[in-house]
Amino acid sequence: MMSIGLTEYLVVAAVLFGAGIFTMITKRNAIGILIGVELVLNSANVNLVAFDRYLERCRIDGQILALVVIVLAAAEAAIAVGICINLYKNLATVDVDTAAKLRG
Amino acid sequence: MNALAQANPWSAVPIGEHLFLFSPLIVLLCTMLAIVTCPIILGRGTRPVLAIASLGVIVAMIFAVQVAGEVPYGGTSGFSPGQDAGMLIADSLSSGFQIILLIFMSGVMWLWWIGSSESERNAPEFFILLLGSALGMLLMVSTTNVLMIVAGFELASLPSYALVGFDKRDRAGAEASLKYMIFGAVCAAVMLYGISLIYGIVGSFSFPVIAAYIQENLIFSGDRLVLIIALACFMVGIAFKIAAVPCHFWCPDAFEGAKVEVTTWLSVASKAAGLLLLARLVMLLCSAVPHDKVMFVLRALAWGIGIMAAVTCTVGNWCAYKQTSVKRLLAYSSIAHAGYMMMAAAVFIHPGVAGHQAGLTALLVYVIIYLFMNLGAFGVTAMVVWETGNDRIESFTGLMRRAPWLAVPMVICLMSLVGLPPLAGFLGKWWILLALGSFEVVHGGSQWYSFKTLGWSLVIITVLNTLLSLYYYMRVVVRMTLHDDGQPVVRASIRGLMLVNACAALLLVMFFLAGPLKEIAGRCAEGLYNPGAALSPATQPVATVGGEIE
Repeated sequence: MMSIGLTEYLVVAAVLFGAGIFTMITKRNAIGILIGVELVLNSANVNLVAFDRYLERCRIDGQILALVVIVLAAAEAAIAVGICINLYKNLATVDVDTAAKLRG
Repeated sequence: MNALAQANPWSAVPIGEHLFLFSPLIVLLCTMLAIVTCPIILGRGTRPVLAIASLGVIVAMIFAVQVAGEVPYGGTSGFSPGQDAGMLIADSLSSGFQIILLIFMSGVMWLWWIGSSESERNAPEFFILLLGSALGMLLMVSTTNVLMIVAGFELASLPSYALVGFDKRDRAGAEASLKYMIFGAVCAAVMLYGISLIYGIVGSFSFPVIAAYIQENLIFSGDRLVLIIALACFMVGIAFKIAAVPCHFWCPDAFEGAKVEVTTWLSVASKAAGLLLLARLVMLLCSAVPHDKVMFVLRALAWGIGIMAAVTCTVGNWCAYKQTSVKRLLAYSSIAHAGYMMMAAAVFIHPGVAGHQAGLTALLVYVIIYLFMNLGAFGVTAMVVWETGNDRIESFTGLMRRAPWLAVPMVICLMSLVGLPPLAGFLGKWWILLALGSFEVVHGGSQWYSFKTLGWSLVIITVLNTLLSLYYYMRVVVRMTLHDDGQPVVRASIRGLMLVNACAALLLVMFFLAGPLKEIAGRCAEGLYNPGAALSPATQPVATVGGEIE
């Protein structure tokens, strides 16, 4: 039977990171970009928790940071959605390409 | 390594002495709580909120000056669960930055009092966000723990996003805050991924431990590539705070869309915090014994930061050329100035390097002077914006006739931003150039990629950039003095005139007080918290000087 080790977790995290970056680059919708940000944040969380589980030198600090990151992601999402709603009220869209009044 | 599990849990409870060292932070936090409760007790008026906030800042300032006198040479770390460095540190740099930031915050609050206190209906929220971001910036500079850096970074960023879009009916503000927030979220996420990789390799969040690991293992280790990628990801976050190229795109948009007070606040405070954090991390990374084998790491780091700084100031000056909005012009100018200051961080690379002390001293002097230059320039811009309703360069036409008490300080601040003597801006540039010119390692060799080459090429780039920048600052000055299209007189409040003229006068006075200014900055720049330095005799201080700043 195949056992799951650290490598598998790191691969999952790397795939999540890549998917998140790809989402950020390709999406034009502000909410879509934020979903990409969440993917990248969670890839960091998978890394941190997996290191704590499998490596002798890492024990608990990573899990603490993972909890901090979860809280930060929630706070960031709250502010981000607030800003998106504000933009929608002003421009009636959350497309980042339409919001192009400021340039140069 | 596993400090938390082994240590006595009670040792993590802070003792009174540590609480005193962090009292300015605690006072700011209490002020925030007082402002939260203020609407319930005293109503949502502007006056009580402003009174509480000013009182809090004054008390925090008193404590900060006290702490600066008491903080031990070499700093101290508190809130430590074990043998590792603590979560928070107090040293000469962090207490000096507290004083600088609090002075600047009182200037920004003064500006807000003039311009927005009558019309603003959400004063409590504004001050909670302002104080919250100040607290985050202070935390960023007074820690060496990566977990705390992340917390401080986000505490500084999240309120800033909301501050930029604070006026809900303003279209430009909504767009600016969206761009700032998306950029910030992406950079923070990439930074956290880098941190998770660093943690996996090193097994600790304490930056001294990380630095020691890098010093020992970078050459022969198999995970060198991963470590370099991780450090690059970490750097993305810091570059976002500094608005260094290529993470600078948020800066002009956010600065143009935000209210002028908020622009003033972000232009100095967030950049200064990012730069001092960068300087501290670079210092820790390079502070072990100068082995020949790690010299190439240092060289790569110095070249990396140096090239980034050179590109940043060139791009900033280049893009400032064609701007027609004064706020946007000053935003690009602040990118350029962040580039000059980053050069000083590149010199601050190693205790074995000549000019190492001079680098951080020059950086701090520049931050202090830059604070007053920007406060003055943005103050005048604010008053013109409030009067004319826009910040186009045409609104400044004939300002010398329309409001001489605004035009003269504006000319002084702009000339100081160029770096012309006899104004303080010249001193900042001069000391950075001096530090770059003396940038040399004792056994550095004389190859084309030596430190000396880097230092002198940065000197040339800075001088060329200063010449470039003269043009677009002069354009505003010429508009104000030589052109006149008969626009009506600008009526500025006496409080505003006091602020901008005080800034301009200080810029003149500071030029002649160069000696004391440099001494204060030098006191802040030496005796930084550095657990690695205790191990190596090479980095012991030559003469022990007290850490006080008065």
